[in-house]
Amino acid sequence: MENLLKPDFGVLLLTVCNFLLLVFLLKKFAWGPILGALEKREAQIESDKQTAADARKSAEELKKELDERLAQISNEAAQKMAAAVKAGETQKEQLLAQAKEQAERLLSQATQQIEAEKNKALADVRSEIASISMLAASRVVEQDLQADNADKIVAQVLEEVQKK
Amino acid sequence: MDVAETISHHILDHDWGVTLGGFRIPVTTHSVTIFAVSILLLLTLSWAARKHTSRGGKLVSVLVEEYVSFIRGGIVIPNMGKEGYGMLPYFCTLFLFILSVNLAGMIPEMKTATSNISVTAALALCSGALIVFSGLKYHGFVGFLKGFVPSGTPAWLVPLLFPLEVISLVIKVCVLAIRLFANMLSGHMVLICLLLIIFIVGEMSKAAGVGALVPAMALEIFMTCLELLVAFLQAYVFTLLTAIFAGSVIHTH
Repeated sequence: MENLLKPDFGVLLLTVCNFLLLVFLLKKFAWGPILGALEKREAQIESDKQTAADARKSAEELKKELDERLAQISNEAAQKMAAAVKAGETQKEQLLAQAKEQAERLLSQATQQIEAEKNKALADVRSEIASISMLAASRVVEQDLQADNADKIVAQVLEEVQKK
Repeated sequence: MDVAETISHHILDHDWGVTLGGFRIPVTTHSVTIFAVSILLLLTLSWAARKHTSRGGKLVSVLVEEYVSFIRGGIVIPNMGKEGYGMLPYFCTLFLFILSVNLAGMIPEMKTATSNISVTAALALCSGALIVFSGLKYHGFVGFLKGFVPSGTPAWLVPLLFPLEVISLVIKVCVLAIRLFANMLSGHMVLICLLLIIFIVGEMSKAAGVGALVPAMALEIFMTCLELLVAFLQAYVFTLLTAIFAGSVIHTH
């Protein structure tokens, strides 16, 4: 058991040589290519990340620009809408005023026409009454004016007038 | 039955007695295990690297990349900084080598070479050389020596502190070897002792031996699982401590 702690310098030297040779060979045939490929891929990933960050930045700038433009367009649309509403209101008021004026004019014309018709009718009635009166008077003059005959004459005159 | 002899036979290295012109060639069970593990690692990792670079074998690529990333991001860079980047192949090899040698002992008819103080001392020597090399590379000879004394130390304290710091570094490297050796050795000793319980009790009474079989085997399985954990843990600890010591030499007080 005491041999456990007794170093074997031959094995020690062989192990050192073996291990250092292994490090050298693995560096050449394994770790070198693997680390190279890993670094290359990491550089590629970093480059892709940078590209993605740039693309994101430009997309954000574009979005900001589009948002500003959209806000501007919305503002313009709102202004145009307000102007259109105002113009519509003005037009509506104009149309209403025109309609009112026309209605008043028509009403006035109708009133005047009615008045004229009424006057004409009144004149007709007056002339008719005058002629009837003349007729009645002539009849009255032609016959004796008796109380009994007077009603009869009036009735007869009215009948004649109706026949006319 | 000589228990000590059985344990020694199971644990100790066996020289195959190869000589060349009267000069002893250290072909032993442990050195052969190390050689076999090295060949296996070289072939497997070269194949994996070829698969990786040719974009074939996705699982192999992922495993190898994850392993390298783990050593780089989990051990080397946090402790050594960017300066450790050039030493990545050493650390990648160190962890896998120790782990493979540790696990080789779990295979029947193979031995755990890391339960040999000569093997762990060799690995610690390599790590010690790496630590010194790191210091010399980044600070030069004088700068490296200056690094042993913290800045602001009174001049009269330097002659006391300098040897202490040098001895501390040597001890750190020695402890690397002893820790790995002791952990792997003790695990295997416990495993063989648990098995020997069955035979020792069986010699006293066959019925008792049969009775001891089940608990001893249960403990054996438990200890084997623990040994698996220890194999990983010790490989990690050795690699991590090497990185920490090298980092402390590169980034001095």
